[in-house]
Amino acid sequence: MKDETTQIEQRVKRYWYSDGIGEMIGGVMFFLLAVYFSLQQYLGDESFMGEMLQAGFVLLLIGGIFLARRLINFLKTRVTYPRTGYIEYRTNNRNLNLMRALTFVVAMIVAAVSLLVARKFDSLDAMVAVTGLLVAFIFAVKQGLTSGVGRFYFISALSLALGGILSVSGFARGYNLGLFYGLMGLVFVISGGLTLKSYLRENPLPTEAGNE
Amino acid sequence: MSDDLRGLNDLDRLIHEPARLLIVTILSTAASADFLFLQREAGLTRGNLSAHLSKLEEAGYVKIEKTFKGKLPLTVCKLTAKGQKAYVAYRQQMQSFMDKTG
Repeated sequence: MKDETTQIEQRVKRYWYSDGIGEMIGGVMFFLLAVYFSLQQYLGDESFMGEMLQAGFVLLLIGGIFLARRLINFLKTRVTYPRTGYIEYRTNNRNLNLMRALTFVVAMIVAAVSLLVARKFDSLDAMVAVTGLLVAFIFAVKQGLTSGVGRFYFISALSLALGGILSVSGFARGYNLGLFYGLMGLVFVISGGLTLKSYLRENPLPTEAGNE
Repeated sequence: MSDDLRGLNDLDRLIHEPARLLIVTILSTAASADFLFLQREAGLTRGNLSAHLSKLEEAGYVKIEKTFKGKLPLTVCKLTAKGQKAYVAYRQQMQSFMDKTG
């Protein structure tokens, strides 16, 4: 009984990722981050524009997340809900807080270990390695385990490998991060695009209204 | 009839029916779901799903609302507090029965 309920819960959670729209928009967000970090490296910390970019990072991030959510909602209303139906997810505050606390603790541990390793080896760019680890952790634990979507484990492994490779590449930090976000953005857009293509093929628009 | 099996008599038959159990389980996971989603997930015809939802609505287990998401008309179903309570009680009864019978 418990297993069947867990299966149904996972199926319901998986539904959010069935169309690939979230991944594609996430990929676009990663592209924007790639442009941001590369531009910051190009302009340098000393220039006025560089300082402005640094100061506006949080605003850009919050604005980006807000726009991304609206865009996902807009596309799902036009593409997904008429084909396979609408669902609103329950937010369990207790579990959500527990997950946030766990994510924070793991992120701190990962950051501390990475900095220690970085101090040991001077050439290692800790920032990109930490980013790779965090993205991998989010996709493997938060997305993969809770929803059971297999492709997230692949993305997680790719992020870990890319972060590791770029950390010893010797590029300037900003370009390193730009390259990481750019390549991962490409992975998300391709993965989301392929998922959307297969979703649209499997779920043509119903000829008559599906809702009673 | 043994005491273990007699416990089955107390099960909520409204929820025990397989199609309705599936509907209620989905609605207990999601905050709400529309008719099309439930139809696809439960693998039921429109008529069948309508009949089951009507029974659940009559019992006060499910609330059905007609609404719009943008310009898209939706028939959204939610599990009520009474429905959630009945579902939890049903699961506990089933679990206890399965524990007893091994």
